[in-house]
Amino acid sequence: MSADYGSPTVEHEATAGDDEAGYRSYEVYQRERVGSPPPVKPGQLRTQDYLDDPYTLLANLRHYGPSFRDWQGNAFWITHYNDVTSVLVDSANFATRSKRWFYGLATFGRDLRNNVPFLTAQAAGIDKHAPVVAREIVEAFAKRGTADLATEFAAVFPLQLLGRTWGIPDADLPVFAERYLRMQRGFRWNTANQEAGKQAMLQLVSYFTPLLAARRADPQDDVLSALATLEIDGPAIDAHDVVATLLEGDHETLHGALANMWFLLLTHPEQLDMVNNTRRLVKYAYLETLRHSTPVLSGERFAKREVERFGLLIPEGALVICSAAGANHDETIFADADQFIVGRKDLVQREPRGQYRADGLPAGITPALGTPSKFPALPVGRPRSLYAITRDVATIASHALLDATNNLQLAKDAHPTLKSRGYGELHTCWHLPVTFSAK
Amino acid sequence: MSLAEDLRKTVAAAYEVDADTASTQTFDFPLMPLGTAYDMGRDANGVPLFDPRIFDSREFQRNPYPYYRILRDHYPVYHDKLHNCYFVTRYNDIAECYFDGLGYNTIPKGSSNHVLGNTQLELSGIEHSRRRNLYGRHLVGAALTKRIGAICKLANEMIDEWFNPESGMTEYDPATGKYTMELGKAFANEFPIRVVCQVLGFPDEARDKFYYWYKYMMGGIGGRDYEQKGLMARQDLEDFVESIVEERRLKPNFLLDDEGNEVAPDIISELCKTIVDGDVLSTEEITSNIALIVGGGGETTRGAILNMWYLLLQHPDQMEAVLNNDPLWDAAFHETLRHSSSIGGQPRQNTFDVELQGVKVPAGSLMHMVDFSANHDERIFTDPEKFDILRNDLYSEKILRSGYKKDGRTNHMAFGVGPHLCPGAWISHQEGSIGSSIMSKRIKNVRIATERMAKDIDGVSLAPIGLGAINELWLEFEAM
Ligand code: HEM
Repeated sequence: MSADYGSPTVEHEATAGDDEAGYRSYEVYQRERVGSPPPVKPGQLRTQDYLDDPYTLLANLRHYGPSFRDWQGNAFWITHYNDVTSVLVDSANFATRSKRWFYGLATFGRDLRNNVPFLTAQAAGIDKHAPVVAREIVEAFAKRGTADLATEFAAVFPLQLLGRTWGIPDADLPVFAERYLRMQRGFRWNTANQEAGKQAMLQLVSYFTPLLAARRADPQDDVLSALATLEIDGPAIDAHDVVATLLEGDHETLHGALANMWFLLLTHPEQLDMVNNTRRLVKYAYLETLRHSTPVLSGERFAKREVERFGLLIPEGALVICSAAGANHDETIFADADQFIVGRKDLVQREPRGQYRADGLPAGITPALGTPSKFPALPVGRPRSLYAITRDVATIASHALLDATNNLQLAKDAHPTLKSRGYGELHTCWHLPVTFSAK
Repeated sequence: MSLAEDLRKTVAAAYEVDADTASTQTFDFPLMPLGTAYDMGRDANGVPLFDPRIFDSREFQRNPYPYYRILRDHYPVYHDKLHNCYFVTRYNDIAECYFDGLGYNTIPKGSSNHVLGNTQLELSGIEHSRRRNLYGRHLVGAALTKRIGAICKLANEMIDEWFNPESGMTEYDPATGKYTMELGKAFANEFPIRVVCQVLGFPDEARDKFYYWYKYMMGGIGGRDYEQKGLMARQDLEDFVESIVEERRLKPNFLLDDEGNEVAPDIISELCKTIVDGDVLSTEEITSNIALIVGGGGETTRGAILNMWYLLLQHPDQMEAVLNNDPLWDAAFHETLRHSSSIGGQPRQNTFDVELQGVKVPAGSLMHMVDFSANHDERIFTDPEKFDILRNDLYSEKILRSGYKKDGRTNHMAFGVGPHLCPGAWISHQEGSIGSSIMSKRIKNVRIATERMAKDIDGVSLAPIGLGAINELWLEFEAM
C-alpha cells in the first residue's frame, strides 16, 4: 500500500491577484496582508495614560494582533497569554539582562542568589521572621482604628522582613532602606535616578564591608552570615557581591502584591467578607491578585537569535516586551478576565512548576517573581521557590491583619487607584486608607 | 518613634517623585537660547547628566547641537535605555562603523522593507554591492557628466517661470522693481524631483505624484499610524511603474540632447534589461529600487539648496565671495552639508558584541550613527558651529567612497562613507551647485525677506535650522 503524498488534496483557488500581470513576491503578500493601522501610538505606551490605566491600551493591542512593533522605543510588544508565557519560559531563544547590565555595571560583584546555602538561609529566615514582623507592623496601628495599608503595611513589611532575614540591625534599617530603595529605582532609563542609584550602591558597599567581616568572624543565624561563609569558586565573597545579590533580588513585588491585594479586597467588600470567613481563601485572593492586577506590568527579554514568532521576524538582540498585564486579561484564557474573582475556577491554585500551567489551568503572570521553578518537582536539598515563599509570606501578613481587626473597610471618601510612579515601575496602590475596630 | 514609622517615612520619600519626572512625555523641556543646553543635572564628579527624554522634545528638534556636544564630550557611545538604543556621536567612531559593512549592518532588518520592498538599504556585503551597482553607476562619473546639460536646462526652465507673471511663482512690485518668492515653492521643492524623474525616465505627469509617494512611503517607514498610507503609496508607485516597465522592456528609452542624439538610457530602461542570477528583475524588484531613489532623491537635495542659500545670505561676505568666484559653489555646498545637513544620521545594527569607547554593546543593538554630530566634532573641524565656506579643514572635491582624511582636510559625513555612501551624492552635488550657480546669474541684490520668515522663540531673529531643513525661505531680489 502506498500513500500518495505528492498530489495536492485541495485545488488551488485562483485569487483576485492572479489575474493581474506580473508576479507577487512574498514581500508584497506580506504588505497586502497588513490590516488596519494599530490602535495605539507607540509613544502612548510611555505616557501617563499607560501609567494610570495600562489595561485599556493593552486590550487594544491584544485585539489588534499578536504583536506590536514600537518604533519609538525599539521594542516588540506581545500581549497574548500563550505568547507571553512561551517567551518567558524560552531561555533558549530569549535572554534576560541583569539590573547591573542596565546600570552599565555588568561586572559589579557577583549575583549569588542561586547558591543553595543562600537559598536555604533565605527561606529559613523568612519562615522564622515573617509572622513576627507581620504582628509587629500590624500592632503599630491596630489600636488606632485607622491606617493607610499601602504605606504602613504593604510598603514596610517587605523591607523590615528583608532587614531581619539578612541580619541588618533594626537601628540601621531606615538608613539601609533609603539606600536600598535608591539603588532599586536607579537601573532604569532615568539618568538622575541612575546616578543616585550608583552612589547608593557604593554607600551600601561601605556599609556592608565591616558587617560582612563581623559575620565571617562570628556567624549568626541570618542570610548575611550565609553569604559571609559561602564557599564558591573565585575570590572570597566581598561587599560588592552582597550588594549585587541584593540588587538582583527584589522585595518590591511583595510590596506591590500586598498593596494590590488589599486594594482589590477592600474595593470588593463581598469578596473580603468571603475571605474573612474562609481564611483558606486568603491564598487564592493573593493568586488572583497576581493575575488581575500584577504589580509588575511586563517582563523584558532580548532575542538571542533571529526568530520568527507572532507574525514577525524578530531580529537578534531585539527587545521583546512580554506584557504580563495584557496577558493576564486575555479573554481567550480567563472568563470575565477583567473581574476580580477570588477562587476563580480557571486559575491554577498551586504553584505551576516548569511552566505557567498546572492541572491544565493557567497561572497569573507576575514577571519579577521569576519564572515558575524550572524543576518539575521540588529537588532534594533545595528550599521552596521564591514564588511559593512570596505567596506564603503574603498570606501570613494578611492573616495577621485580619486577626487584629474587625470590620475592616475603606475610609469614608477614599477613592484609591492603582498607578505607576514612572515608566517601568511598580503598578500599585500608593494610598489605601482604612478604618476598623481593634479586636 | 517606632521602626515601622521610620521605615514608612523612608519609603514615602524614596517613592516620592516630582509629578513632572514620573512619566516620559508630559515632561516639557524649556526652549533654550541657541547654543545653550538645558541643564539636566550633574553627577558627583561634575559631569553633565543626560536625560533621554530630551530626544522627544521640541527643544531638541529645534536645536540638537548643544546636546550632541554633551554626548560627544562625555558619552561618546550613549546608551539610551528609554528608546532602547545607542548613540554614536564622534566622527572617528562613526567612520569606523560605516566602513565595517559586515560588523554593522545598515538599518535593522524589517525596518524599511515593509514599505519600500526589498532594497539594498537593508543588505550588506556582496548582496548589497550587487544591487547597488545595478544602477549606481548611472549616477556618477561619465554617465553623470553626460546629463549635466539636461540638468542645466531644467534649472533654466524653472527660473524662466519666475519672470512669467502668469506662473504665480513670484510676486512683483513694479514700484521698487523687486520680486518676492519662496525659494522652496519656486525652485527647491521641484528641481530635485524633476532631475530624479528625468534620470529615472519617468514621464512628466509623475512629478505631481512624486511628493505623494515620497511623503507617505517615508512616513510609513517610521511605522506609527502611517504604515497603511505608506503601503498604499507604494502600491500606487508600483502600479505606475508597472505600465512603464511593460513598455520599456520592449523599447528602452533614452535621454536626448538638443540635437536629438541619444545621451544615456534612463534607469528604468536600464533596470528592465538587467540580469541578476540569470533572470531579469521583476516589476516588484524594479519598483523597490525606484522607491528607494524616490525616498532618497528629493527632500534631501531640497534641504541642501534651501539651507545653502539661507546660510550664505546670513553671511554676506561669503555670499559675495561665491558670487565673484563660481567654483566656490562646490565648497559652499559641502560646507552647508557639514554645517546643517538635512539628514541627521543613520541607524546601524551591530552583528557581533562590540566594545566601543568602553561601552559594551550586545549584538543586535540599534546604534544610531549621528552624522550631525560627526560634522560638528571639534576633534575634526575647528570651530564647528561656524559656517565658513573657506575653512581649510573640510575636503570638498570629488566625493570618495573611501572618504578623505589627509593634509588636515576631512570629508563631511552628510552622505555617509564606505559601502553605503549615498549613491546620489554626485548628482545632488551637481543639482546644488549648478542650480545655484545658474540662479545667481539671473537674480541680483538678493536678501532674505525677514518679515515673512518663521521667527525663533525670541520673536525677532530667524528660526534656526535645527534638525533637517528649514521649511520656507522667503527671498526678495531683482532681475539681472
Ligand atoms: C544632499 C542630498 C543628499 C543627502 C544629504 C543624502 C544622504 C544620504 C545618506 C546619509 C545616506 C545613507 C548612507 C548610509 O546608510 O550610510 C544615503 C543613502 C542613499 N541615498 Fe542619498 N542623499 C542625498 C541625495 C540623494 C539623491 C539625489 C539620491 C538619488 C538620486 C539619493 C539616493 C540614495 C540611496 C539610493 C541611498 C541608499 C544607498 C545604500 O544603502 O547603498 N540620495 N543618502
